[in-house]
Amino acid sequence: MVGATRALERPAVARPAWWRRRRTRRALTFYAFVSPWLVGFIALGAIPLVLALAMSFTNYDGLNLDYIRVVGLDNYARVAGDRDALLSLQRTLVFVGATVALGLVVQLGTALLLDGPVRGRGLFRTLFYLPYVVPVVAGAWVWKIFTDPNGGLLNAIVNVVDPGFAMNWIVEQPTTVLVLFTVWALTGGGMVVFLAGLQGIPSELKEAAQIDGAGSLAVLRHITLPLLTPVILFQVVVSMIWSLQIIQQPLLLAPGILRGPGTLPPQDNYLYIVHAYHEIFVQQRFGYGAALLWLLFLVTLGLTLVIVRSSRRWVHYEEAQ
Amino acid sequence: MLKRTGALAAGLAAAPLIAACQPGTTTPKGGSGKVVVMTDPHEFGDADVKAIQDATKLKIEVVENDLTRLYAMYAAGNPPDVFRVQAAGIPQYISRKMLKNLQPYFAASKVLKPDDLAPANNFYKWDGKQIGKGDLYGMVKDWSPDFTLYAYTKAFEDAGVKVPSDTAALTYQELHDLAAKVNKKAGAKRVYWGYVHSNNDQWIDRSAMNMLAEKGQSLYSEDFSKANLTGNPEAVKVFRYLYDLAAEGLHQTPVDPSPNWMGADFNNGQIAILQYGYWFSAMAESDTTKGKTVMLPAPTWSGTRRDPTMTATGWVISSQTKDPDAAWAVFETYMGGAPAVARASSGWGVPGLKSLYAKMPTDTPFQKQVAKVLNAELPYSDGVLQFNPYLGEETFSTAWKKHLEPALKGQISFDKFLANIEADVNAAIADGRRIVGQ
Repeated sequence: MVGATRALERPAVARPAWWRRRRTRRALTFYAFVSPWLVGFIALGAIPLVLALAMSFTNYDGLNLDYIRVVGLDNYARVAGDRDALLSLQRTLVFVGATVALGLVVQLGTALLLDGPVRGRGLFRTLFYLPYVVPVVAGAWVWKIFTDPNGGLLNAIVNVVDPGFAMNWIVEQPTTVLVLFTVWALTGGGMVVFLAGLQGIPSELKEAAQIDGAGSLAVLRHITLPLLTPVILFQVVVSMIWSLQIIQQPLLLAPGILRGPGTLPPQDNYLYIVHAYHEIFVQQRFGYGAALLWLLFLVTLGLTLVIVRSSRRWVHYEEAQ
Repeated sequence: MLKRTGALAAGLAAAPLIAACQPGTTTPKGGSGKVVVMTDPHEFGDADVKAIQDATKLKIEVVENDLTRLYAMYAAGNPPDVFRVQAAGIPQYISRKMLKNLQPYFAASKVLKPDDLAPANNFYKWDGKQIGKGDLYGMVKDWSPDFTLYAYTKAFEDAGVKVPSDTAALTYQELHDLAAKVNKKAGAKRVYWGYVHSNNDQWIDRSAMNMLAEKGQSLYSEDFSKANLTGNPEAVKVFRYLYDLAAEGLHQTPVDPSPNWMGADFNNGQIAILQYGYWFSAMAESDTTKGKTVMLPAPTWSGTRRDPTMTATGWVISSQTKDPDAAWAVFETYMGGAPAVARASSGWGVPGLKSLYAKMPTDTPFQKQVAKVLNAELPYSDGVLQFNPYLGEETFSTAWKKHLEPALKGQISFDKFLANIEADVNAAIADGRRIVGQ
């Protein structure tokens, strides 16, 4: 009996070393694949962010570390009395509102136009996408030439209906030019996202509505737009975050030549990030500039939460079957 | 064993990461025979590098001049051994103990003798209280009396105005009146700006400082603890003058800008009178302006002639250099060796050594006319400008530019404009003083 029991016992199998276990191998493989991004994020994202946060509690002025000392929350308190910071934040919010709203209309409109059976659709899609891949410096030069008061195309177009019209657009209407330039540059990317969204809408829904007598506008209003709202939400959040951080565009569109950190855009385009940049590299207030940037992060986070929270009322997700 | 191997692997993995986080170069120093020079590659070409390497047997690594990168390298404790500076930054760097005192090296040098140093080198002297006194911390690579003028004679012909004499200095008021006569627009299109100065306002504080210095006054209080604009009637007059040039459309401004820098506009024949130093003569004659350009003496505010350099661009050695002797060898050769002779002959600036003055070119009629004016100006060029040791190089000019636009648009008065500049500058000075514990 004892011998029979022994015969039924399974032979003991040695447990593999931890690094040979299947679970460990899978985990290691995962980390090996994500490590290029992870190392980049830690070195170029996480560490600078933590250092900037630490810097925001100091009087660091960028020159040398011999005189650095902790100033607590002084830099954050200072923002309340910084008129330039508050005004530039106000301007930034107006700019973001205009850019996001106009950008969405243009991106969605372009996508709707190019979603249908248009002759040369591929060519038009490429042309509309092109500004998205043009480097921002080249794009700014295009817009500077386009709006040039002496021989620029924009004045020439206006001259067709208003002969003798001459406006120095980047001086007299700097924010209009900045918004149009930004919308122009972003249209291609947004258009592609909206096209993907449009192509995800089941055609039978539209056909059913049309059979019920709905016209094109009714289909757009009652079928297409509601089903696109998740994409619209995504675009609103991404465009808002991107527009809040804009810096090269206002500097590149500044009249005159670029003069390093001392370059000043026109007052109307003196946005929040430009102010932070000036505080750091012109006024040598590195600690204060870092505090400004962390406050912008909080503003961005707050606005994002508001938008996401409001989305419960206007974003339609497909019901789970 | 495994733990030790893991720690070693982590260390090896982290080493390049930490190195990558250190801005700037990773060049080994400390008698390594390598000197890191941060400068403008246009001023320090391959031929210069080769000449110095051959002469010193040291290897030179050139890092492109970039203020942001310089700050980052200092913060990382790894600044370049030698770097390019301009006058406005020197007192701040010295007071922050960032520069090496080169007085003992100059005293021992057989190439850079104190008696031979051009007056512009006084900008590199600082005794803790003022520029121009105390030990030497650097040297100009070359320089110019920077308040001289260039006149585009065609603009004067078009206006039916006589070109001023190149032997008598104009007063600033005469200059203003002349600029108003030659200033020209055709509808909305600009034909000639009357008088463009101060490197498009980037050096506006330097212009004001020199005008005030004619009357023995300064832009700042004696201890540099505040800017003295609204409380000083002479300063108000100086800034009113500069503001009026902008408000009357004689000068390039944020509301009437040019897409180019002022040198290019002069070359294009769009500026009647331009204020730049001798260095600009090397490029003043373009296809458009050739034969139609004359150099004029610096204008005077109150009759006391002063024509110092505005920039004093040169080199200094970091106080943190691991090999000061090697850094000095490179510095000395660049400032007094073959590269210095080549620079002197190029006409792009007055040499930093008086013994090289004779090398400046005088071949063409324009170069001869320029040399005549320059030689007459040199006796007035030994003054300095008292830059504030608590301010960054562009703090003042940025405050001017920032508040000029609303002033020109009529959103604020001139008095408010001046008060705003003063407030911004004084806030920056207060910050600078707090940092060094004052």
